Amino acid sequence: MPRKKIVLVACGTAVATSTVVANSIEEEMAARGIPVETRQCKATEVPGLIEDVDLVVSTTPLPPNLPKPAIVTLAFLTGIGRDAEIEKIAGILKG
Amino acid sequence: MDSLLTGLKTVVDGLGATVLLPVFIFIIGVILGAKPGRAFRAGLTIGIAFIGINLVIGLMWTSLSDVAQAIAANTGVTRDVVDVGWPSSAAIAFGSSVGLWIIPVGIAVNVALLLTGLTRTLNVDIWNFWHMAFFGSLVVAATGSLGMGIATAAVMAGLALFVADWSAKPVQKFYGLPGVSVPHLLSGAILPIAIVVNWVIDRIPGLRDIDLSTDTIQKRFGVFGEPIMMGLIIGIVLGLIGFWDGSNIPGTITRVLQTGMALAAVMLLLPRMVKILMEGLIPISEAARSFVQKRAGNREINIGLDSAILIGHPAAISSALILVPIAILLSIVLPGNRVILFADLAVIPFVVALAAPIVGGNVLRMVIIGAITLAAGFYIATAQAPLFTQAAVASGFTLPENASQITAIGDGFLWISLVVVALASWLGYFGVVIMAALVGAGLAALKGGRLGDHAAGEEQS
Repeated sequence: MPRKKIVLVACGTAVATSTVVANSIEEEMAARGIPVETRQCKATEVPGLIEDVDLVVSTTPLPPNLPKPAIVTLAFLTGIGRDAEIEKIAGILKG
Repeated sequence: MDSLLTGLKTVVDGLGATVLLPVFIFIIGVILGAKPGRAFRAGLTIGIAFIGINLVIGLMWTSLSDVAQAIAANTGVTRDVVDVGWPSSAAIAFGSSVGLWIIPVGIAVNVALLLTGLTRTLNVDIWNFWHMAFFGSLVVAATGSLGMGIATAAVMAGLALFVADWSAKPVQKFYGLPGVSVPHLLSGAILPIAIVVNWVIDRIPGLRDIDLSTDTIQKRFGVFGEPIMMGLIIGIVLGLIGFWDGSNIPGTITRVLQTGMALAAVMLLLPRMVKILMEGLIPISEAARSFVQKRAGNREINIGLDSAILIGHPAAISSALILVPIAILLSIVLPGNRVILFADLAVIPFVVALAAPIVGGNVLRMVIIGAITLAAGFYIATAQAPLFTQAAVASGFTLPENASQITAIGDGFLWISLVVVALASWLGYFGVVIMAALVGAGLAALKGGRLGDHAAGEEQS
Protein backbone atom coordinates (compact mmCIF):
# COMPACT_ATOMS: atom_id res chain seq x y z
CA MET A 1 0.00 0.00 0.00
CA PRO A 2 1.68 3.23 -1.13
CA ARG A 3 1.74 6.28 1.13
CA LYS A 4 -1.20 8.62 0.73
CA LYS A 5 -0.17 11.65 -1.32
CA ILE A 6 -1.21 15.05 -0.02
CA VAL A 7 -2.37 17.75 -2.42
CA LEU A 8 -2.70 21.32 -1.15
CA VAL A 9 -5.45 23.13 -3.08
CA ALA A 10 -5.36 26.91 -2.93
CA CYS A 11 -7.61 29.76 -4.05
CA GLY A 12 -8.62 33.19 -2.81
CA THR A 13 -10.95 32.03 -0.05
CA ALA A 14 -10.12 28.36 0.71
CA VAL A 15 -13.89 27.92 0.36
CA ALA A 16 -15.24 28.28 -3.15
CA THR A 17 -13.13 27.44 -6.19
CA SER A 18 -10.63 25.33 -4.23
CA THR A 19 -13.50 23.05 -3.17
CA VAL A 20 -14.35 22.40 -6.81
CA VAL A 21 -10.71 21.56 -7.59
CA ALA A 22 -10.23 19.41 -4.47
CA ASN A 23 -13.35 17.35 -5.20
CA SER A 24 -12.30 16.80 -8.80
CA ILE A 25 -8.80 15.70 -7.82
CA GLU A 26 -10.14 13.31 -5.16
CA GLU A 27 -12.61 11.71 -7.59
CA GLU A 28 -10.20 11.40 -10.50
CA MET A 29 -7.28 10.09 -8.45
CA ALA A 30 -9.53 7.55 -6.72
CA ALA A 31 -10.59 6.36 -10.18
CA ARG A 32 -6.89 5.88 -11.05
CA GLY A 33 -6.13 4.06 -7.82
CA ILE A 34 -3.85 6.82 -6.51
CA PRO A 35 -4.54 7.33 -2.80
CA VAL A 36 -4.74 11.06 -2.21
CA GLU A 37 -5.73 13.50 0.51
CA THR A 38 -6.54 17.13 -0.26
CA ARG A 39 -6.21 20.13 2.00
CA GLN A 40 -7.56 23.57 1.19
CA CYS A 41 -6.10 26.96 1.98
CA LYS A 42 -5.75 30.51 0.73
CA ALA A 43 -2.92 31.26 -1.67
CA THR A 44 -1.23 33.41 1.00
CA GLU A 45 -1.18 30.45 3.41
CA VAL A 46 0.64 28.10 1.01
CA PRO A 47 4.20 28.82 2.24
CA GLY A 48 3.13 28.00 5.82
CA LEU A 49 1.44 24.72 4.91
CA ILE A 50 3.64 23.40 2.11
CA GLU A 51 6.04 21.37 4.25
CA ASP A 52 4.19 18.05 4.33
CA VAL A 53 2.43 18.18 0.96
CA ASP A 54 3.41 16.53 -2.33
CA LEU A 55 1.81 18.95 -4.77
CA VAL A 56 0.14 22.37 -4.78
CA VAL A 57 -2.75 23.08 -7.15
CA SER A 58 -4.11 26.64 -7.25
CA THR A 59 -6.71 28.64 -9.14
CA THR A 60 -4.90 31.90 -8.43
CA PRO A 61 -1.25 33.06 -8.64
CA LEU A 62 1.00 31.53 -5.97
CA PRO A 63 3.92 33.09 -4.07
CA PRO A 64 7.23 32.53 -5.93
CA ASN A 65 9.98 29.99 -5.16
CA LEU A 66 7.89 27.21 -3.64
CA PRO A 67 9.93 24.13 -2.66
CA LYS A 68 7.34 21.67 -4.06
CA PRO A 69 5.76 21.13 -7.49
CA ALA A 70 2.92 23.58 -8.09
CA ILE A 71 0.25 23.91 -10.79
CA VAL A 72 -1.85 27.03 -11.36
CA THR A 73 -4.90 26.15 -13.46
CA LEU A 74 -8.46 27.22 -14.23
CA ALA A 75 -9.24 23.99 -16.09
CA PHE A 76 -11.35 22.55 -13.27
CA LEU A 77 -13.55 25.66 -13.25
CA THR A 78 -14.00 26.13 -17.00
CA GLY A 79 -13.89 22.46 -18.00
CA ILE A 80 -11.47 23.36 -20.81
CA GLY A 81 -8.26 21.30 -20.75
CA ARG A 82 -9.41 19.46 -17.63
CA ASP A 83 -8.27 15.99 -18.75
CA ALA A 84 -4.76 17.18 -19.55
CA GLU A 85 -4.39 18.75 -16.09
CA ILE A 86 -5.63 15.56 -14.43
CA GLU A 87 -3.04 13.48 -16.32
CA LYS A 88 -0.35 15.96 -15.29
CA ILE A 89 -1.39 15.73 -11.63
CA ALA A 90 -1.59 11.92 -11.79
CA GLY A 91 1.90 11.87 -13.33
CA ILE A 92 3.39 13.95 -10.52
CA LEU A 93 1.67 11.95 -7.78
CA LYS A 94 2.70 8.57 -9.23
CA GLY A 95 6.35 9.58 -9.48
CA MET B 1 -48.90 36.08 -8.85
CA ASP B 2 -47.88 37.81 -5.64
CA SER B 3 -50.48 35.96 -3.56
CA LEU B 4 -49.25 32.63 -4.88
CA LEU B 5 -45.71 33.60 -4.02
CA THR B 6 -46.77 34.84 -0.60
CA GLY B 7 -48.50 31.53 0.05
CA LEU B 8 -45.36 29.74 -0.94
CA LYS B 9 -43.35 32.04 1.31
CA THR B 10 -45.48 30.96 4.30
CA VAL B 11 -44.57 27.35 3.62
CA VAL B 12 -40.94 28.33 3.17
CA ASP B 13 -40.89 30.19 6.46
CA GLY B 14 -42.44 27.19 8.19
CA LEU B 15 -39.92 24.65 6.95
CA GLY B 16 -36.82 26.82 6.88
CA ALA B 17 -33.77 26.64 4.67
CA THR B 18 -32.57 23.35 6.17
CA VAL B 19 -35.52 21.43 4.70
CA LEU B 20 -36.61 23.48 1.72
CA LEU B 21 -33.32 24.27 0.10
CA PRO B 22 -32.35 20.56 -0.17
CA VAL B 23 -35.67 19.83 -1.88
CA PHE B 24 -35.24 22.74 -4.30
CA ILE B 25 -31.62 21.87 -5.04
CA PHE B 26 -32.63 18.27 -5.81
CA ILE B 27 -35.36 19.41 -8.21
CA ILE B 28 -33.14 22.00 -9.92
CA GLY B 29 -30.33 19.45 -10.22
CA VAL B 30 -32.59 16.89 -11.90
CA ILE B 31 -34.01 19.51 -14.29
CA LEU B 32 -30.50 20.59 -15.27
CA GLY B 33 -29.63 16.98 -16.02
CA ALA B 34 -27.69 15.81 -12.95
CA LYS B 35 -28.15 12.14 -11.97
CA PRO B 36 -30.95 11.89 -9.36
CA GLY B 37 -28.70 10.17 -6.81
CA ARG B 38 -26.05 12.87 -7.15
CA ALA B 39 -28.66 15.64 -7.01
CA PHE B 40 -30.21 14.13 -3.88
CA ARG B 41 -26.82 13.92 -2.19
CA ALA B 42 -26.17 17.54 -3.20
CA GLY B 43 -29.42 18.70 -1.61
CA LEU B 44 -28.78 16.74 1.56
CA THR B 45 -25.26 18.15 1.86
CA ILE B 46 -26.58 21.69 1.51
CA GLY B 47 -29.14 21.11 4.28
CA ILE B 48 -26.38 19.80 6.54
CA ALA B 49 -24.27 22.86 5.73
CA PHE B 50 -27.08 25.11 6.88
CA ILE B 51 -27.34 23.34 10.21
CA GLY B 52 -23.57 23.72 10.66
CA ILE B 53 -23.52 27.38 9.62
CA ASN B 54 -26.37 28.12 12.01
CA LEU B 55 -24.37 26.66 14.90
CA VAL B 56 -21.27 28.71 14.12
CA ILE B 57 -23.19 31.92 13.47
CA GLY B 58 -24.87 31.42 16.85
CA LEU B 59 -21.46 31.17 18.52
CA MET B 60 -20.18 34.21 16.66
CA TRP B 61 -23.21 36.39 17.32
CA THR B 62 -23.13 35.57 21.01
CA SER B 63 -19.46 36.41 21.48
CA LEU B 64 -19.46 39.42 19.15
CA SER B 65 -22.64 40.90 20.63
CA ASP B 66 -21.22 40.55 24.12
CA VAL B 67 -18.02 42.29 23.05
CA ALA B 68 -19.81 45.05 21.15
CA GLN B 69 -22.07 45.80 24.10
CA ALA B 70 -19.16 45.68 26.53
CA ILE B 71 -17.22 48.12 24.34
CA ALA B 72 -20.20 50.49 24.28
CA ALA B 73 -20.60 50.25 28.07
CA ASN B 74 -16.86 50.53 28.79
CA THR B 75 -15.89 53.34 26.38
CA GLY B 76 -19.14 55.07 25.52
CA VAL B 77 -18.33 54.52 21.84
CA THR B 78 -21.28 52.98 20.05
CA ARG B 79 -20.16 50.26 17.65
CA ASP B 80 -23.18 48.00 17.91
CA VAL B 81 -23.38 46.69 14.35
CA VAL B 82 -21.14 43.62 14.15
CA ASP B 83 -19.48 42.35 11.00
CA VAL B 84 -20.38 38.66 10.64
CA GLY B 85 -18.49 38.10 7.41
CA TRP B 86 -19.37 37.17 3.85
CA PRO B 87 -19.77 33.46 4.61
CA SER B 88 -22.73 34.46 6.80
CA SER B 89 -24.07 36.67 4.00
CA ALA B 90 -23.83 33.79 1.54
CA ALA B 91 -25.72 31.51 3.90
CA ILE B 92 -28.37 34.17 4.53
CA ALA B 93 -28.75 34.71 0.79
CA PHE B 94 -29.05 31.04 -0.19
CA GLY B 95 -31.32 30.42 2.80
CA SER B 96 -33.64 33.30 1.92
CA SER B 97 -36.90 32.98 0.00
CA VAL B 98 -35.12 34.55 -3.00
CA GLY B 99 -32.22 32.10 -2.61
CA LEU B 100 -34.54 29.22 -3.45
CA TRP B 101 -35.16 30.69 -6.89
CA ILE B 102 -31.80 32.22 -7.67
CA ILE B 103 -30.19 29.31 -9.53
CA PRO B 104 -32.93 28.90 -12.19
CA VAL B 105 -33.43 32.70 -12.38
CA GLY B 106 -29.73 33.41 -12.76
CA ILE B 107 -29.31 30.75 -15.44
CA ALA B 108 -32.41 31.96 -17.32
CA VAL B 109 -31.11 35.55 -17.35
CA ASN B 110 -27.68 34.40 -18.57
CA VAL B 111 -29.11 32.21 -21.36
CA ALA B 112 -31.50 34.96 -22.47
CA LEU B 113 -28.74 37.59 -22.60
CA LEU B 114 -26.37 35.20 -24.40
CA LEU B 115 -28.98 34.31 -27.00
CA THR B 116 -29.83 37.96 -27.64
CA GLY B 117 -26.12 38.74 -27.89
CA LEU B 118 -26.29 41.31 -25.08
CA THR B 119 -23.56 39.58 -23.09
CA ARG B 120 -20.44 37.65 -24.00
CA THR B 121 -20.07 36.01 -20.60
CA LEU B 122 -21.15 32.51 -19.72
CA ASN B 123 -21.38 32.69 -15.93
CA VAL B 124 -20.48 29.21 -14.62
CA ASP B 125 -19.84 30.56 -11.14
CA ILE B 126 -23.14 29.35 -9.65
CA TRP B 127 -21.72 29.74 -6.15
CA ASN B 128 -21.59 33.53 -6.46
CA PHE B 129 -25.25 33.71 -7.42
CA TRP B 130 -25.59 34.31 -3.68
CA HIS B 131 -24.77 37.99 -4.22
CA MET B 132 -27.80 38.36 -6.49
CA ALA B 133 -30.00 36.51 -4.00
CA PHE B 134 -28.60 38.65 -1.20
CA PHE B 135 -29.68 41.95 -2.80
CA GLY B 136 -33.03 40.33 -3.60
CA SER B 137 -33.47 39.27 0.02
CA LEU B 138 -32.72 42.83 1.21
CA VAL B 139 -35.47 44.05 -1.10
CA VAL B 140 -37.82 41.44 0.37
CA ALA B 141 -36.88 42.62 3.87
CA ALA B 142 -37.56 46.24 2.86
CA THR B 143 -40.77 45.76 0.87
CA GLY B 144 -42.21 42.43 1.99
CA SER B 145 -42.70 41.45 -1.65
CA LEU B 146 -41.08 38.19 -2.74
CA GLY B 147 -41.90 38.92 -6.38
CA MET B 148 -39.99 42.17 -6.22
CA GLY B 149 -37.08 40.43 -4.51
CA ILE B 150 -36.84 37.82 -7.26
CA ALA B 151 -37.15 40.50 -9.96
CA THR B 152 -34.33 42.45 -8.28
CA ALA B 153 -32.18 39.31 -8.14
CA ALA B 154 -32.80 38.78 -11.87
CA VAL B 155 -31.63 42.33 -12.59
CA MET B 156 -28.57 41.68 -10.40
CA ALA B 157 -27.78 38.62 -12.53
CA GLY B 158 -27.72 41.01 -15.50
CA LEU B 159 -25.59 43.49 -13.57
CA ALA B 160 -23.05 40.76 -12.79
CA LEU B 161 -22.76 40.04 -16.53
CA PHE B 162 -22.35 43.77 -17.19
CA VAL B 163 -19.51 43.89 -14.65
CA ALA B 164 -17.92 40.88 -16.37
CA ASP B 165 -18.19 42.23 -19.91
CA TRP B 166 -17.14 45.73 -18.93
CA SER B 167 -13.98 44.61 -17.13
CA ALA B 168 -13.18 41.59 -19.34
CA LYS B 169 -10.44 43.14 -21.52
CA PRO B 170 -8.47 44.84 -18.71
CA VAL B 171 -8.85 41.77 -16.44
CA GLN B 172 -7.65 39.39 -19.17
CA LYS B 173 -4.68 41.61 -19.93
CA PHE B 174 -3.62 42.53 -16.39
CA TYR B 175 -4.18 39.13 -14.76
CA GLY B 176 -3.16 37.13 -17.84
CA LEU B 177 -6.42 35.17 -18.09
CA PRO B 178 -7.51 34.82 -21.72
CA GLY B 179 -11.15 33.81 -22.24
CA VAL B 180 -12.12 34.59 -18.65
CA SER B 181 -14.30 37.33 -17.15
CA VAL B 182 -15.45 37.99 -13.62
CA PRO B 183 -19.21 38.37 -13.03
CA HIS B 184 -18.74 39.14 -9.35
CA LEU B 185 -20.80 41.90 -7.72
CA LEU B 186 -18.71 42.27 -4.57
CA SER B 187 -15.60 42.86 -6.67
CA GLY B 188 -17.43 44.78 -9.39
CA ALA B 189 -18.82 47.45 -7.08
CA ILE B 190 -15.45 49.21 -6.96
CA LEU B 191 -15.26 49.77 -10.75
CA PRO B 192 -17.02 53.15 -11.01
CA ILE B 193 -15.27 54.42 -7.87
CA ALA B 194 -11.90 53.26 -9.19
CA ILE B 195 -12.39 54.94 -12.56
CA VAL B 196 -13.38 58.28 -11.01
CA VAL B 197 -10.70 58.29 -8.30
CA ASN B 198 -8.03 57.18 -10.78
CA TRP B 199 -9.04 60.05 -13.07
CA VAL B 200 -8.70 62.49 -10.17
CA ILE B 201 -5.31 61.10 -9.07
CA ASP B 202 -4.03 61.50 -12.64
CA ARG B 203 -4.61 65.24 -12.22
CA ILE B 204 -2.82 65.66 -8.88
CA PRO B 205 0.88 66.53 -9.44
CA GLY B 206 3.21 64.54 -7.19
CA LEU B 207 0.68 61.90 -6.18
CA ARG B 208 0.20 60.78 -9.78
CA ASP B 209 3.90 59.95 -10.12
CA ILE B 210 4.17 57.60 -7.12
CA ASP B 211 4.18 53.90 -7.98
CA LEU B 212 4.36 51.62 -4.94
CA SER B 213 5.92 48.21 -5.53
CA THR B 214 4.37 45.03 -4.21
CA ASP B 215 7.41 42.99 -3.21
CA THR B 216 8.25 44.16 0.28
CA ILE B 217 4.74 44.68 1.59
CA GLN B 218 3.67 41.06 1.50
CA LYS B 219 6.44 39.76 3.76
CA ARG B 220 6.00 42.35 6.48
CA PHE B 221 2.31 41.72 7.02
CA GLY B 222 2.45 37.95 6.53
CA VAL B 223 0.74 37.09 9.79
CA PHE B 224 -2.52 38.71 8.70
CA GLY B 225 -2.80 36.07 6.00
CA GLU B 226 -3.63 33.48 8.64
CA PRO B 227 -7.30 33.72 9.59
CA ILE B 228 -7.02 31.98 12.95
CA MET B 229 -4.17 34.26 14.07
CA MET B 230 -6.18 37.24 12.92
CA GLY B 231 -9.25 36.00 14.82
CA LEU B 232 -7.23 35.47 17.99
CA ILE B 233 -5.51 38.85 17.84
CA ILE B 234 -8.66 40.80 16.98
CA GLY B 235 -10.58 38.92 19.66
CA ILE B 236 -8.01 39.74 22.31
CA VAL B 237 -7.81 43.40 21.29
CA LEU B 238 -11.59 43.82 21.19
CA GLY B 239 -11.86 41.91 24.46
CA LEU B 240 -9.35 44.23 26.13
CA ILE B 241 -11.26 47.31 24.99
CA GLY B 242 -14.60 45.89 26.05
CA PHE B 243 -13.86 43.97 29.23
CA TRP B 244 -11.03 46.01 30.73
CA ASP B 245 -11.68 46.41 34.42
CA GLY B 246 -8.74 47.64 36.50
CA SER B 247 -10.32 46.45 39.75
CA ASN B 248 -10.76 42.88 38.50
CA ILE B 249 -7.69 41.81 36.53
CA PRO B 250 -8.24 38.02 36.79
CA GLY B 251 -11.82 38.48 35.56
CA THR B 252 -10.60 40.68 32.72
CA ILE B 253 -7.99 38.12 31.63
CA THR B 254 -10.55 35.32 31.61
CA ARG B 255 -13.03 37.24 29.46
CA VAL B 256 -10.34 38.54 27.10
CA LEU B 257 -8.81 35.11 26.45
CA GLN B 258 -12.24 33.53 26.05
CA THR B 259 -13.17 36.16 23.48
CA GLY B 260 -9.91 35.66 21.58
CA MET B 261 -10.40 31.90 21.53
CA ALA B 262 -14.05 32.13 20.45
CA LEU B 263 -13.23 34.47 17.57
CA ALA B 264 -10.28 32.33 16.46
CA ALA B 265 -12.65 29.35 16.44
CA VAL B 266 -15.18 31.24 14.30
CA MET B 267 -12.50 32.19 11.78
CA LEU B 268 -11.71 28.51 11.20
CA LEU B 269 -15.17 26.98 11.63
CA LEU B 270 -17.30 29.37 9.58
CA PRO B 271 -15.39 28.86 6.31
CA ARG B 272 -15.39 25.09 6.95
CA MET B 273 -19.17 25.05 7.26
CA VAL B 274 -19.60 27.22 4.18
CA LYS B 275 -17.27 24.84 2.34
CA ILE B 276 -19.85 22.09 2.94
CA LEU B 277 -22.43 24.33 1.27
CA MET B 278 -20.05 24.73 -1.67
CA GLU B 279 -19.52 20.96 -1.86
CA GLY B 280 -23.25 20.47 -2.08
CA LEU B 281 -23.47 22.99 -4.90
CA ILE B 282 -20.78 21.37 -7.06
CA PRO B 283 -23.00 18.77 -8.82
CA ILE B 284 -25.58 21.48 -9.51
CA SER B 285 -22.91 23.85 -10.71
CA GLU B 286 -21.47 21.22 -13.08
CA ALA B 287 -24.91 20.35 -14.42
CA ALA B 288 -25.66 24.06 -14.89
CA ARG B 289 -22.40 24.59 -16.76
CA SER B 290 -23.06 21.89 -19.34
CA PHE B 291 -26.74 22.94 -19.54
CA VAL B 292 -25.81 26.51 -20.46
CA GLN B 293 -22.77 25.60 -22.57
CA LYS B 294 -25.01 23.38 -24.72
CA ARG B 295 -27.42 26.25 -25.30
CA ALA B 296 -24.91 29.05 -25.75
CA GLY B 297 -23.87 27.89 -29.21
CA ASN B 298 -20.43 28.31 -30.69
CA ARG B 299 -19.99 32.07 -30.62
CA GLU B 300 -16.95 33.49 -28.89
CA ILE B 301 -17.71 33.79 -25.21
CA ASN B 302 -15.84 34.41 -22.00
CA ILE B 303 -16.21 31.99 -19.12
CA GLY B 304 -17.36 33.89 -16.04
CA LEU B 305 -15.46 32.79 -12.93
CA ASP B 306 -15.21 33.68 -9.25
CA SER B 307 -12.92 36.64 -8.49
CA ALA B 308 -11.20 34.22 -6.07
CA ILE B 309 -8.96 33.42 -9.05
CA LEU B 310 -7.57 36.99 -8.94
CA ILE B 311 -6.82 37.11 -5.23
CA GLY B 312 -3.39 35.46 -5.34
CA HIS B 313 -2.02 38.32 -7.43
CA PRO B 314 0.54 40.40 -5.48
CA ALA B 315 -1.29 43.67 -6.25
CA ALA B 316 -4.51 42.38 -4.66
CA ILE B 317 -2.78 40.84 -1.65
CA SER B 318 -0.47 43.77 -0.95
CA SER B 319 -3.09 46.48 -1.14
CA ALA B 320 -5.47 44.40 0.98
CA LEU B 321 -2.81 43.92 3.65
CA ILE B 322 -2.29 47.68 3.88
CA LEU B 323 -6.05 48.24 3.89
CA VAL B 324 -6.69 45.96 6.89
CA PRO B 325 -5.24 48.37 9.48
CA ILE B 326 -6.72 51.32 7.56
CA ALA B 327 -10.15 49.71 7.71
CA ILE B 328 -9.85 49.15 11.46
CA LEU B 329 -8.76 52.75 11.93
CA LEU B 330 -11.65 54.02 9.80
CA SER B 331 -14.12 52.01 11.87
CA ILE B 332 -12.91 53.83 14.98
CA VAL B 333 -12.53 57.40 13.70
CA LEU B 334 -15.44 57.81 11.27
CA PRO B 335 -18.10 59.88 13.04
CA GLY B 336 -21.54 58.28 12.94
CA ASN B 337 -20.21 54.84 12.04
CA ARG B 338 -21.67 52.03 14.14
CA VAL B 339 -19.95 49.07 12.46
CA ILE B 340 -17.30 47.08 14.32
CA LEU B 341 -15.16 45.08 11.88
CA PHE B 342 -14.29 41.51 12.48
CA ALA B 343 -14.99 38.55 10.23
CA ASP B 344 -14.66 40.26 6.87
CA LEU B 345 -11.20 41.79 7.15
CA ALA B 346 -10.22 38.76 5.06
CA VAL B 347 -12.52 39.78 2.20
CA ILE B 348 -10.73 43.05 1.42
CA PRO B 349 -8.70 41.53 -1.47
CA PHE B 350 -12.03 40.85 -3.21
CA VAL B 351 -13.07 44.46 -2.72
CA VAL B 352 -9.99 45.83 -4.48
CA ALA B 353 -9.16 43.09 -7.03
CA LEU B 354 -10.95 44.70 -9.97
CA ALA B 355 -9.34 48.09 -9.31
CA ALA B 356 -5.92 46.62 -10.14
CA PRO B 357 -6.29 46.55 -13.96
CA ILE B 358 -7.63 50.12 -13.94
CA VAL B 359 -4.63 51.52 -12.07
CA GLY B 360 -2.10 49.19 -13.71
CA GLY B 361 -1.43 47.40 -10.42
CA ASN B 362 -0.26 50.56 -8.63
CA VAL B 363 -0.69 49.59 -4.97
CA LEU B 364 -0.83 53.16 -3.65
CA ARG B 365 -3.76 53.95 -5.95
CA MET B 366 -5.48 50.71 -5.02
CA VAL B 367 -5.13 51.59 -1.34
CA ILE B 368 -6.57 55.09 -1.88
CA ILE B 369 -9.46 53.73 -3.93
CA GLY B 370 -10.02 50.91 -1.45
CA ALA B 371 -10.01 53.27 1.54
CA ILE B 372 -12.60 55.55 -0.10
CA THR B 373 -14.76 52.53 -0.97
CA LEU B 374 -14.54 51.19 2.58
CA ALA B 375 -15.18 54.60 4.17
CA ALA B 376 -18.39 54.94 2.16
CA GLY B 377 -19.13 51.32 2.99
CA PHE B 378 -19.22 51.96 6.73
CA TYR B 379 -22.07 54.44 6.29
CA ILE B 380 -23.92 52.22 3.85
CA ALA B 381 -23.60 49.29 6.25
CA THR B 382 -24.68 51.37 9.26
CA ALA B 383 -27.78 52.53 7.39
CA GLN B 384 -28.63 49.07 6.06
CA ALA B 385 -27.92 47.07 9.23
CA PRO B 386 -31.59 46.72 10.28
CA LEU B 387 -32.44 45.24 6.86
CA PHE B 388 -29.40 42.96 6.91
CA THR B 389 -30.40 41.68 10.35
CA GLN B 390 -34.02 41.26 9.29
CA ALA B 391 -32.94 39.28 6.22
CA ALA B 392 -30.83 36.99 8.42
CA VAL B 393 -33.72 36.29 10.75
CA ALA B 394 -36.04 35.70 7.78
CA SER B 395 -33.58 33.08 6.50
CA GLY B 396 -33.99 31.15 9.74
CA PHE B 397 -30.77 32.07 11.52
CA THR B 398 -31.34 32.34 15.24
CA LEU B 399 -30.45 35.66 16.73
CA PRO B 400 -29.30 35.39 20.34
CA GLU B 401 -31.21 37.48 22.88
CA ASN B 402 -30.33 41.21 22.99
CA ALA B 403 -28.06 40.64 20.04
CA SER B 404 -26.60 43.52 18.14
CA GLN B 405 -27.49 44.24 14.55
CA ILE B 406 -25.28 42.65 11.93
CA THR B 407 -23.59 43.48 8.65
CA ALA B 408 -20.58 42.36 6.59
CA ILE B 409 -18.20 43.99 4.12
CA GLY B 410 -19.53 41.45 1.60
CA ASP B 411 -22.15 42.61 0.64
CA GLY B 412 -23.37 45.02 3.33
CA PHE B 413 -20.77 47.65 2.38
CA LEU B 414 -21.79 47.86 -1.27
CA TRP B 415 -23.50 50.90 -2.76
CA ILE B 416 -25.48 48.48 -4.93
CA SER B 417 -27.59 47.50 -1.90
CA LEU B 418 -28.39 51.15 -1.17
CA VAL B 419 -29.50 51.77 -4.77
CA VAL B 420 -31.66 48.67 -5.21
CA VAL B 421 -33.35 48.99 -1.83
CA ALA B 422 -34.05 52.70 -2.38
CA LEU B 423 -35.48 52.14 -5.87
CA ALA B 424 -37.60 49.18 -4.81
CA SER B 425 -38.97 50.69 -1.62
CA TRP B 426 -39.73 54.15 -3.08
CA LEU B 427 -41.00 53.16 -6.49
CA GLY B 428 -41.98 49.50 -6.14
CA TYR B 429 -41.97 47.49 -9.36
CA PHE B 430 -41.37 50.69 -11.31
CA GLY B 431 -38.09 50.98 -9.41
CA VAL B 432 -37.15 47.45 -10.45
CA VAL B 433 -37.99 48.37 -14.05
CA ILE B 434 -35.65 51.37 -13.79
CA MET B 435 -32.86 49.08 -12.51
CA ALA B 436 -33.49 46.67 -15.38
CA ALA B 437 -33.49 49.53 -17.90
CA LEU B 438 -30.17 50.86 -16.56
CA VAL B 439 -28.51 47.44 -16.68
CA GLY B 440 -29.99 46.77 -20.13
CA ALA B 441 -28.75 50.13 -21.41
CA GLY B 442 -25.31 49.39 -19.99
CA LEU B 443 -25.16 46.01 -21.71
CA ALA B 444 -26.42 47.46 -24.98
CA ALA B 445 -23.85 50.27 -24.79
CA LEU B 446 -21.05 47.72 -24.28
CA LYS B 447 -22.32 45.73 -27.23
CA GLY B 448 -22.39 48.85 -29.39
CA GLY B 449 -18.87 49.65 -28.24
CA ARG B 450 -19.84 53.06 -26.85
CA LEU B 451 -18.06 52.37 -23.57
CA GLY B 452 -15.22 50.94 -25.62
CA ASP B 453 -15.70 47.65 -23.70
CA HIS B 454 -12.91 48.46 -21.35
CA ALA B 455 -12.80 50.21 -18.00
CA ALA B 456 -10.32 53.04 -18.76
CA GLY B 457 -6.91 51.69 -17.77
CA GLU B 458 -5.63 50.72 -21.21
CA GLU B 459 -3.14 53.57 -21.32
CA GLN B 460 -1.59 52.71 -17.95
CA SER B 461 -0.87 49.07 -18.60
